[in-house]
Amino acid sequence: MTKTRQKILMIDDDPDFCEALTAILKSAAYEVITASNAAEGKKKILSEKPDLVLLDIMMDSLFDGYSLCHAVKTSKEFESVKNTPIIFVSAVKEIAGSRFGFKGEEQGMAGPDDYIDKPVKPAELLARIDKLLRT
Amino acid sequence: MPEPLVLIIDDEESMRDACTQILLKSRYRTETADNGASGLQKIRDLRPDAVIVDLKMPGTSGFEVLENLKLIDPQIMTIVITGYATVDSAVEAMKKGAYDFLPKPFTPEELRVILARALERRRLALEADALRREKKLLEENVITMVSHQLRSPLVTIQQYFEVILSGIAGPVGEKPKEMIGRARDRLDGLLNLINDWLDMARIDAQRLIGTFEFLDLRKLLEKLLEFMGPLARESGTSLEWAGVPGSAAEVQGDAETLEQVFTNLLSNAIKYNKPGGRVRLILKEDRECVIVEIQDTGIGISQEHLPFIFDQFFQISRSESGKMKGSGLGLAIAKKIVEAHNGRIEVASSLGMGSTFTVRLPKIQPAGASA
Repeated sequence: MTKTRQKILMIDDDPDFCEALTAILKSAAYEVITASNAAEGKKKILSEKPDLVLLDIMMDSLFDGYSLCHAVKTSKEFESVKNTPIIFVSAVKEIAGSRFGFKGEEQGMAGPDDYIDKPVKPAELLARIDKLLRT
Repeated sequence: MPEPLVLIIDDEESMRDACTQILLKSRYRTETADNGASGLQKIRDLRPDAVIVDLKMPGTSGFEVLENLKLIDPQIMTIVITGYATVDSAVEAMKKGAYDFLPKPFTPEELRVILARALERRRLALEADALRREKKLLEENVITMVSHQLRSPLVTIQQYFEVILSGIAGPVGEKPKEMIGRARDRLDGLLNLINDWLDMARIDAQRLIGTFEFLDLRKLLEKLLEFMGPLARESGTSLEWAGVPGSAAEVQGDAETLEQVFTNLLSNAIKYNKPGGRVRLILKEDRECVIVEIQDTGIGISQEHLPFIFDQFFQISRSESGKMKGSGLGLAIAKKIVEAHNGRIEVASSLGMGSTFTVRLPKIQPAGASA
């Protein structure tokens, strides 16, 4: 039985950070595609249909990770891919006080399936991805 | 921008008509009201730029219009018309917020000049307001932006270190591994410093009050204890919860920053403890305050250092504390937050025996209590 490689889309505006994370993902034999902003990420979610999305929250635009995540989970445009798991990858301190959970939910925003702090520990990242892709 | 809208409130039809005629020639938009009450209603609905109001009207007087106008929008300019041109009533009107007054009879030119001046004044006031708002917004955004831009490159460097240390990019010898590990730790320290610095800049008492809500400190502390469990176990410290049952725990506060205060105090208590030490978290009350105490059995603070412990950048040297340096801002931030809540933070300590940090926050007085 041949198993196609699973595809992960990483959306982050820092190309070096993408490269470092790509190294981790490739070491676990994932196929990796990247997008450098939420708008490009939005297009690629629809065209590439990734198995999972790693999403940076703070990007230099009003259309940020929160908005994109909310759109994927709730908008009609994304109906066909709305079950794609999303992991927020962000330097937690920037979303002040988020240690105890995703605050956006209180403001009626659809939350991600998981979130992980920058810098990510390779083993932790792979374990979290694996868990979401297996279920 | 549309032409300025001027509302004329006067019970005399001839006066309303005359003013309207004069103003239309100067290309103002006009509205009229024949009594004070309907004038106020039009002010609420139309938000005119300026109001010309007769002081002496049956029913709601010009003075009453002035008083209410101030509550609706103090930026609306008012010019009062006084039939009985006594200085007294004009002065009283100015005291009540009128911009200027016009004694009857007046020439079209006099009305135009006064109105133009009033509107210019209004334009400047509105502009200054907009500038103030913009400046405030910019200040808030600068902190977020600086935070993001300072942190991003550092986080990326750390990410590379993580990848290298995990061996994903190729085998790494013991010595380089150790060195990169140390570099990563120093970078951690730098990131913490930046975080603390930005917190210090961000915590603004005025702005905090805007986010105050009813808070159950008991719940907040129990959640924190759970969160701190792993850190305590890791360092072999026992963590005890000693909330006095039935003790008041409700305060008015900002959950996020108070959480930060107690996280900081608890993690210090764990970090600077002795092996096998103990940390007790106590919740109690006195007449005015909800009191939270964090007691540790750690290294303690010497009497000479005690007075400076809440100062910015004060640090006990590494050889004395035996720990990695922090930013020296943690307790200063805690103090700033507690004081923004009208509370107090204190410390009692003896070297080698441990420290007790006490946070007092004003209780919410039960409704109807006379005290």
